Amino acid sequence: MAQKEGFWRSLYQGLASLKLTVFVFLTLAICSLVGTLLPQGLAPHEMEKQYSPGMLWFIEALGLNDLYRTGWFRLLLLLLCINLIVCTIERLPKTLKLLQRRDEHISPEKLLKFNYSREISTRMPWEEAMSRVNRVVSEGFAALEPLDNPAGFSALAEKGRWSPLMVYIVHLSVLVVLFGALMGSLFGFKGVMNISEGEASDEVLSYKGDKQIVLPFQVRCDKFDVSFYDTGAPKEYRSDLAIIEKGQEVHKQSIRVNDPLTYQGVTFYQASYGSTLKLADVELLDRNSGKSYKMTLPFRETRPIPGTRDQVQIMDYQQDLSRFGPAVAVMISKEGQQEPEGSWIVVNMPDFHGNRVGSYQIKVTRLEKSQYTGLQVKRDPGVWMVWLGFTAMVIGIGMTFYTSHRKIWIWAAPTDGSSKIIIAGRANKNPLAFEQEFNELCQQLQDDLKSSDAMDKKNKKRGK
Amino acid sequence: MISSSLLLSITTFTYLLCTILYLSGVVFRYKPLLASGTYVGLGAIVIQLSGMLLRWKESYQLGYGHAPLSNLYESLVFAAWAIMLIYLVLEFRSKQRVLGVFPALFSFLAMAYASFSTSVDSKIQPLVPALKSNWLIAHVIACFLGYAAFAVSSGISMLYLFQKSRSSNPHPKGALAILPESRQMDELNYQMILFGFLWLSLGIITGSVWANSAWGTYWSWDPKETWSLITWLVYAAVLHARTMQGWRGTRVAWLSLLGFVCVLFTYFGVNFLLSGLHSYAGR
Repeated sequence: MAQKEGFWRSLYQGLASLKLTVFVFLTLAICSLVGTLLPQGLAPHEMEKQYSPGMLWFIEALGLNDLYRTGWFRLLLLLLCINLIVCTIERLPKTLKLLQRRDEHISPEKLLKFNYSREISTRMPWEEAMSRVNRVVSEGFAALEPLDNPAGFSALAEKGRWSPLMVYIVHLSVLVVLFGALMGSLFGFKGVMNISEGEASDEVLSYKGDKQIVLPFQVRCDKFDVSFYDTGAPKEYRSDLAIIEKGQEVHKQSIRVNDPLTYQGVTFYQASYGSTLKLADVELLDRNSGKSYKMTLPFRETRPIPGTRDQVQIMDYQQDLSRFGPAVAVMISKEGQQEPEGSWIVVNMPDFHGNRVGSYQIKVTRLEKSQYTGLQVKRDPGVWMVWLGFTAMVIGIGMTFYTSHRKIWIWAAPTDGSSKIIIAGRANKNPLAFEQEFNELCQQLQDDLKSSDAMDKKNKKRGK
Repeated sequence: MISSSLLLSITTFTYLLCTILYLSGVVFRYKPLLASGTYVGLGAIVIQLSGMLLRWKESYQLGYGHAPLSNLYESLVFAAWAIMLIYLVLEFRSKQRVLGVFPALFSFLAMAYASFSTSVDSKIQPLVPALKSNWLIAHVIACFLGYAAFAVSSGISMLYLFQKSRSSNPHPKGALAILPESRQMDELNYQMILFGFLWLSLGIITGSVWANSAWGTYWSWDPKETWSLITWLVYAAVLHARTMQGWRGTRVAWLSLLGFVCVLFTYFGVNFLLSGLHSYAGR
């Protein structure tokens, strides 16, 4: 039993240790580095081309081709979170206790042992000296709170008491950011949709597992436009979009790169563009009957060949098929035939003997293309948490670095004919800046107490 | 007619002069040389600022109209300026002029690389759609203030290590005698790392918010992003080792140099060796 407790104890201490923090930082750094050296997200056939079989096995076993999404990388992030949480549980109560502790009593011997301390004596009357000390410290540093001292006067002034807590805000902010990212990946989605000009769609192709997501509304692309500079560089990509809900147009907006549209928590970004086939004029020559048919075929819509029971459809389109130029994939289903027949028809080679499907020789006389806009579509319910975390992180880092908890103690007692004053200070951070602040305060104090000394002397002389 | 490129060429040579003054001030232990280094450095950033502002104006005359922070050339120019500016503030606050050798050298090298390398295009180019955002200015300024502070820190670290490697002698001679005491150098080094870390964090965050409004992803593990995170992690490790484990001096100086190597790789290495979303920063 005791051994078991010992195990848990040392596990806890290990998780709370700074060594683990630095280890996780550097391991994350090195693993991230590996991920930038190996191309990420390659398709399987590209992988086979690039690596030897042994290397391929190794990369796939460790998931190095998609490193940042592997379980073990996420485990590292989880370890960082656990380390952060355990450290906070371990240290926050101590910090709070330290802040609450008030030294009710302070001895002059102890004060003189501080890194920053100074002894000043003045011949000013006791009351006067104390009121000056009070004024100088209150104005130059912070209000003095009296401490217990039957022999004379002692007091403490503090600044930035909350400063040691700021680092916990930074740590919390890291957790908030990672939690927000987790929320996004669990409850959000990311995908693409290509919409041709004039068309509307509600289908988003998700990046995750290539599945289809159906939106509760439709997006219509009224127009897509690219403009260029004189240099030929692209100037602006713009899509004029409309949101359609239950057949009603409810919202219209133009989007550009850096200027997306958000509707019902779903955001549409201008990501890409391209052109796709709209329709094609074709001539079909039936070599069995010698009859020829002229038809206009809309892309991916089946049409009957007039006067026959055959059906024809353009199934696919390629801008450049094996360097032979544009080509359409035509499929014909004949009456009585189980399987439809199909083939690629090369548009620029009308007499090519391979331009045939079944008994039909096919000629494409005209292609009409339409532009489509490529939208990145995203819903991320965690993004506000990420922003919150970022804000807290910046504020927290600034406060942690540029504020410190500083304390100034005053101990004073009247001695025969003069007053002895000890001033001592302590800061939890930034010693050089505090040293300067402390020295300036001491100088101010000395000057104030001395100048009145001199005045006293003058007054006494005059009196004589 | 004064053009921005003339002003920036003058700046390059002013930085060279500044470097020579600081260096000879250290080598000959002659304080007036160091002081003139300061004034020449101050002159350089004033000339350079007017050069950058003029370039901004010229971009409007060309009809493009954007802040001069949009490509490799402009970022190098801004980096040189930020390094010298941060260093001069540090010098003013610490009253130590000896530390100027490396910042002045870095500023000169950045300007020389920007001006003389054939692979860096100094023409004012129009902004591609992805860069047309108000985040451009905030992101670039934050990142390069961070990088510049880390550059100054690495300069202090090198001087620190140089001092440590020679200072078994209690009464150092030569250039060593003029260097600040090691405790102060360590503290200034730390101050620069803190400053750099704050701005690097801001740089990563502004970049992330920007990426979210341009592409819909605030983090996509793009090489540039990843390397900025690596840099951030290295400096975060330095900060933790120093505050919690009490690491000081030599170890912090070496880690600061490691951090700066990461900065250089994030800035240059990623552009030239790896490809990604951030390609416009390499042209």
